[in-house]
Amino acid sequence: MSTKDSESGVFGLEFSAEDRLFRIGLGISGVIMFLVGVFPIYWMAQSSFKTRQAILNSASPLPGPGSFTLSNYAILTNSDVSLYVINTAIVTLGTIILVVIVSLIAGYGLARFEFPHKENFARFLLFGYMFSPIVLGLPLYLIWKRLGLLNTRIGLIVALTAISMPFSVWLMWKYIQTIPRSMEESAWVVGASRWRGFRDVVIPQSQPAIIAAALFAFALAWNDFTFAQILLPRNEATTFAPGVFRLITQGYDTSWADIMAVSMMMTVPPMLFAYFLQSYLLKGFQIRSL
Amino acid sequence: MVDVNIQNLTRVFQDGADEIVAVDGIDLHIDDGEFVTLVGPSGCGKTTTLRCVAGLDIPTDGTIRFGDRDVTDLPVQERDIALLFQDIALYPHMSVRDNIAYGLKIAGVSRDERYRRVEEAAELLQITDQLDKSPADLSGGQQQRVALGRSLVRDPEVFLFDEPMSDLDAKLKRELRPVVQRITEEIGCPTLYVTHDQEEAMTMSDRVAVMNDGRLEQVGPPKRVYDDPQTEFVSGFIGQPNTQFFDGRVAAANGSATLEVGSHDLSLPTEADRLEGYVGREVRVGIRPQYFEVTEDPEEGIPARHVLDEPLGDETHSFFETEFGELVVVTGPDFEGERREYGLVVDAGEAQLFDPDSGVRIA
Repeated sequence: MSTKDSESGVFGLEFSAEDRLFRIGLGISGVIMFLVGVFPIYWMAQSSFKTRQAILNSASPLPGPGSFTLSNYAILTNSDVSLYVINTAIVTLGTIILVVIVSLIAGYGLARFEFPHKENFARFLLFGYMFSPIVLGLPLYLIWKRLGLLNTRIGLIVALTAISMPFSVWLMWKYIQTIPRSMEESAWVVGASRWRGFRDVVIPQSQPAIIAAALFAFALAWNDFTFAQILLPRNEATTFAPGVFRLITQGYDTSWADIMAVSMMMTVPPMLFAYFLQSYLLKGFQIRSL
Repeated sequence: MVDVNIQNLTRVFQDGADEIVAVDGIDLHIDDGEFVTLVGPSGCGKTTTLRCVAGLDIPTDGTIRFGDRDVTDLPVQERDIALLFQDIALYPHMSVRDNIAYGLKIAGVSRDERYRRVEEAAELLQITDQLDKSPADLSGGQQQRVALGRSLVRDPEVFLFDEPMSDLDAKLKRELRPVVQRITEEIGCPTLYVTHDQEEAMTMSDRVAVMNDGRLEQVGPPKRVYDDPQTEFVSGFIGQPNTQFFDGRVAAANGSATLEVGSHDLSLPTEADRLEGYVGREVRVGIRPQYFEVTEDPEEGIPARHVLDEPLGDETHSFFETEFGELVVVTGPDFEGERREYGLVVDAGEAQLFDPDSGVRIA
C-alpha cells in the first residue's frame, strides 16, 4: 500500500476524509438520539415549569419571567395523583422484592442442583417473552378475576414479577455458577447449613446480580402500562402510567402543564437509578455465556 | 482420642448407562495425630476418597468411622472436620479476621472469644498484620495461611487437605510445608492430605498411601515406600527422576539367579528358589536412576549415547539414548556428557523385579 494510493479505506476514500465522514455520521446519530430521546424530556421538563396559559399561547424554549411557575406541581397533592404515586411505589417495591427473592432461589437451584430437563426448564422460562403483555394481560384478567386479585396491588405485583422473572432467573443462575462451589462447601465444613451457607456466602457475593435484577424489575414495574391498565380497572387502585393516561383522556380541567409535572415526577426516579447504577446494569449483561 | 477408619470404601459414578468406579474398595486407617498422604496421578480417585471422608460425597459402599462414631451417612456439617480446598475458598466479602472467625460464628462462640482465638491463630501463622485486609489483597501464600487459620481456630476432629498447594509455585510450597506440619501437629488430630505431588507426600507425611485407578497400591512410611515399592506403579510414581523399567527374563543356574535384559546378563543376589515360578519367565525390571554407573568404556554394561544434562547443583540428571530407549541416570554434580558414547553399569543388587501382568513386586 503506497502513500500516494491513499484511497484505500473502507469506503475507498482518503483516511482523513473517512475520519471526517465518521465524525459527521457520529454527529448525525447524536442529533437523532437527541431529538428522539432527550428533546421530549427537555420539553416536558421546561413545560412543567410554565403556566397553563404560557403553554397554550406559544412555544418557547424556556419559561420566561412572566410564565415561570411551580404551581403545576401542586397536582401531586391531588388525591388521585398521590394515590397513583403511592400505588406505583408499592407495586414497584413489591415487584423488586419478589423478583429478587424468586430469582435468587431459582437461580441457586439451577446452578447447584441437577434435575432432569434442567436446561429445558430454563428455556421454557424464556417462553414468556414471546407474548406481548396485552396477549398475556387478557387471560390474566380472567384468572385474576376468578381469584379475586383484580384491583389489588398484590395481583399486579405477581403479574409484573412473572414477566420480569425469566431474565432475572437466568442472570442469577449464570452469576451463581461463577461462585466456586468450594466457597459454600467450606461453610458447610464448619457446620453451616445449606441455607446458612446460601445466606452468608452466596447472597453477599451475588450482590451485583441482585442489583441488576432489581434495576430491571424496577424499570419494568415503574413503566408498566398494559398490565396496570388491565388488572387495575378501578381508579383508586391504579398506578402512574394508566393514571396519567386517565388524566389526559377524561379530565377536562386537567391541563398540559399538570400532566407535564406529573410526567416529570415519573421520569426522575428511573433516570437517577439508570445514572447512578449503570455499572451494575452493564454487569448484568456481562455474565459469560448468558 | 480419635482415629479414622476407612473400610471397603467404594464410590461408583453413574454416567448415563456407564458405571465409573472412582474408588474401588479401599481400606485405610489413620491414627490419632498421624499425617497420612494420599498420593496418585489425577483421576485416580484420591479426591473422591477425601470427599467421602469429608461428607461432601456419599460412598456407594463401605464405612467410614471417626473413633467409635460411624460417620458414613453423616452430613458434612456434623462431622467436625476441617478441610483445606484446592482453590482456598476464602470469602471475598469478609475481612481476613472474619474469614478465620466464620466457623466459630457458626458454632455460636461469642464475638470477643472469636476474635481472641483469631489473634492467637494469626500469631502462630505470622499473619497478625493482615487481619483487617480483604483476602483479595493477600498473596497466594498468605491466603493459604489464612485458610489454615480457619481450621486452626476450630480444633477439628479430623483435618483434610485437598491438594491445597497445587496452585502455588515451588518456592512457596517449600515455605508452606513446614507451616502445614506445624499446624497439624498443633491441632494433633488425624490428617488426610491429598496431593498429586510426590515430593509433598514424601516430605510431610508419617505414612504415604499411593493410589492408582481407584485402588491403594501401597501404604507405608515415605522411606519404606521409596526403598521398597510393592508394585511397579509405586516404583515408577515415587522418586525423582522416575524408576527406569525394562523387560527381562529370569534364568537360574546352580541355585543362583541371573537376569537377562536384552543381551545383558545380571547376576541377582536373590536365591533362585525365592524366584520360583518366575524362572524362565518374563518379568519387569525397575532400576532407580541413582543405581546406574556411567563408565567411559562403551563396551562395559549397556552402550549408551549421551543426549543432554540437567545440572541441578548437587547432582545432574543425564539423559542417554540406549537400545531400551531413553534412560535417565543420576550423575555427579560435575558430570558433563558432551554427547559421547558411554557404558551404563547396573547395580544388580538394586534391581526391582515385578510380575509383568499384575505389576506386583517379586524381588
